[in-house]
Amino acid sequence: MTSSVLLILLLLVPLIGMAIAFAAPLLGAKQGPLFAESAHILSISLLALLALTLAATVLADGPVFAFGSWLYLDPLAAIPVALIGVVGLLTGVYSLGYIRHDLASGVISAGKLCRYYGFFNLFLFTMLCTVTANDIVMMWVGIEATTLGSVFLVGFYGQRASLEAAWKYVIICTVGVAFGLYGTMLVYAEASAVLPNPGDASLWTSLIRHAASFDPGVMRLSFVFVLIGFGTKAGIFPMHAWLPDAHSEAPSPVSALLSGVLVNCALFVLLRYSAITTAATGPGLPHTLFLVLGVLSVAAGSLLIFVQNDFKRLLAYSTTENVGLMLVGFGIGGQLGIAAAILQMINHSFTKTLLFCGSGNVLMKYGTRDLRTIKGLTAIAPATGLMLIAGALALCGIPPFSIFVSEFMLVTAGLRAGYGWLMVICLLLLTVTLAALLRFIGGSLLGSRPEGVPPGEVGGLEVVPMMALLALVLVFGIAVPRPVARLVESATSVVLETDRTSAVVYAPWQSPARPALGGHNVIRAADGG
Amino acid sequence: MTGLQLVNGLASLLIVTSLLVIEARGTTLSAIYYALQSFVLVLVFLALAATVDAPQLFIWAGIALVTKVVLVPLIMYRTLGGISDPALTPRRLGLAWTIILAAAVVAVCFGVVSTIHLPGSSALKPALAVSLAHFFLGLACIVMQRNLLKQVFGYCLMENGSHLTLALMANRAPELVEIGVVTDAIFAVVIMAIIGTMIRSRLQTLDVRQLTSLRG
Repeated sequence: MTSSVLLILLLLVPLIGMAIAFAAPLLGAKQGPLFAESAHILSISLLALLALTLAATVLADGPVFAFGSWLYLDPLAAIPVALIGVVGLLTGVYSLGYIRHDLASGVISAGKLCRYYGFFNLFLFTMLCTVTANDIVMMWVGIEATTLGSVFLVGFYGQRASLEAAWKYVIICTVGVAFGLYGTMLVYAEASAVLPNPGDASLWTSLIRHAASFDPGVMRLSFVFVLIGFGTKAGIFPMHAWLPDAHSEAPSPVSALLSGVLVNCALFVLLRYSAITTAATGPGLPHTLFLVLGVLSVAAGSLLIFVQNDFKRLLAYSTTENVGLMLVGFGIGGQLGIAAAILQMINHSFTKTLLFCGSGNVLMKYGTRDLRTIKGLTAIAPATGLMLIAGALALCGIPPFSIFVSEFMLVTAGLRAGYGWLMVICLLLLTVTLAALLRFIGGSLLGSRPEGVPPGEVGGLEVVPMMALLALVLVFGIAVPRPVARLVESATSVVLETDRTSAVVYAPWQSPARPALGGHNVIRAADGG
Repeated sequence: MTGLQLVNGLASLLIVTSLLVIEARGTTLSAIYYALQSFVLVLVFLALAATVDAPQLFIWAGIALVTKVVLVPLIMYRTLGGISDPALTPRRLGLAWTIILAAAVVAVCFGVVSTIHLPGSSALKPALAVSLAHFFLGLACIVMQRNLLKQVFGYCLMENGSHLTLALMANRAPELVEIGVVTDAIFAVVIMAIIGTMIRSRLQTLDVRQLTSLRG
């Protein structure tokens, strides 16, 4: 089976899973949910397998095209694809226990359970469309579709607060992303006038090869529009207003997908545009905007974490903070800065998914997200409690957890690039986060067992995915796996438009990997790029 | 009148129809004005197709006729036409102030478009400025109106503005791209209408100021 076929299958699998799940209620209230769950499990398992196989293929053999040049998977796209596969699988398995609990509690009906799996698979499909699109307008269509595909998951419970969150989510994101369409059109119009074959003017692979000939004024304007548009979806301050509401009101596995994967997809699109803009105008504007918005996002996220009493809102603001750190990495630039930011995407994705899954267990045990009510979790559910402690420490950037490695790389990159003062500001803001998370550990996870909460874990289906996530967080923190390091370095080369890759992705106590082979990122002209 | 003048003239009519959508009382009337505006948009596409030799725009015009002149207003009428919030009178700046605001937005957009070098025909810059102004008028409608349904119409106006920009700047893009953009827009309107209906049924209001349970 060729890689192109695998890439098409990657999109087809969740689409079929969605169709079956939506059709499942026709089988009745007893058989329908079983059928939907089976289709869902099959879909997310196949998707994870395909995603990881394709990532390995890209690493070994270079970019994969499908449908002519419409779909394109290079090392940069392979990272979000692999994350969608892995996080989709783990949150999908976690969903089984979580949604069954809702069904058993009478919160949802059997039909709604089936719809949940339908929308879950639709959401995965729309994110895959975004990151595998080579056409920049289809990239925009994909990002817009992620909002439309996930809004019913945000408003899933139909309560006052969840409907409010869904409304804000759909209005803010569709309006924000509309700005992205203007940016996209400006780039397309400019490329149509410059490219020898105007028919390729919407293909990113063509744009990046001719970007140096584009008008710098038009490209600067388009980048501002694109940053507002896709930055809204990435949860960048000050366009982040939808994020805490949507993350806190969605079912916990969906919150994990929104925070751990969706924001990465939007950042991925920004990186694509940043590469074109940098080639056309130089790094000045993109890097400055990334640095300014990055530091503002870190500041807003850190300070708002500190005042939160709602567990999931605390995690949501931490997403804004981490997105800010990634932007700071993009803004610092260079191989180390970009690689650090991309590695931070991966590490944050696993850590935040672990914590959101844990928040789901807390919600099932205590029936609230209020941190003033949640006490002594380790005494009630030791496995969940200990894993949440590990997750919270990981989020603080403490070794041997994975975020320490990417943050260490980020600070090193900043110091080497002469941004010492900026790194000091970021580190000071991170200490605010550290204080807030330590308070969370001491106040809600440790302590004596409260009255009225029955002891015991919620169930194996909710605990096993968390164990897998904690294992990933630890493995990536102890030593970045070599294939992942090489993939991140290759993705960095795509952003920097170079075929030279050197080993920069490794833990401080790990020996550098052998540099990835060059030439993998070259866009093959024969493939119509 | 040359083709380009016709395009620019018709584009200007969009601003007038926008004001009608914003100022109209009631969902049904807004939906009718929106259909009228979309019909003007279809005419712009047809005029543009003949003027700049872009036959794809004839297909765009056909798609817009079916989706925006018929489908979206019908969806708005069927899903939202029957619901209203008696306690909520539309927030109106007053027609004079709305016209002044619109004129200011158009003037700023003309200024922006005239200062930058844009690929393509400079003779279409007035239409381009109007499309940009249309986008921001829609945005203003979303920000200033406290009626949830008016916000949906605000999005529709923004979308028509960006659709015109797309026709002016990217009219040679593959049809699949146009279909993707229009499909997204229709789904967005349908989804907003559904969530709006759900909010009305649970909260018994269409006032966005009541959506305040999530803060901090």
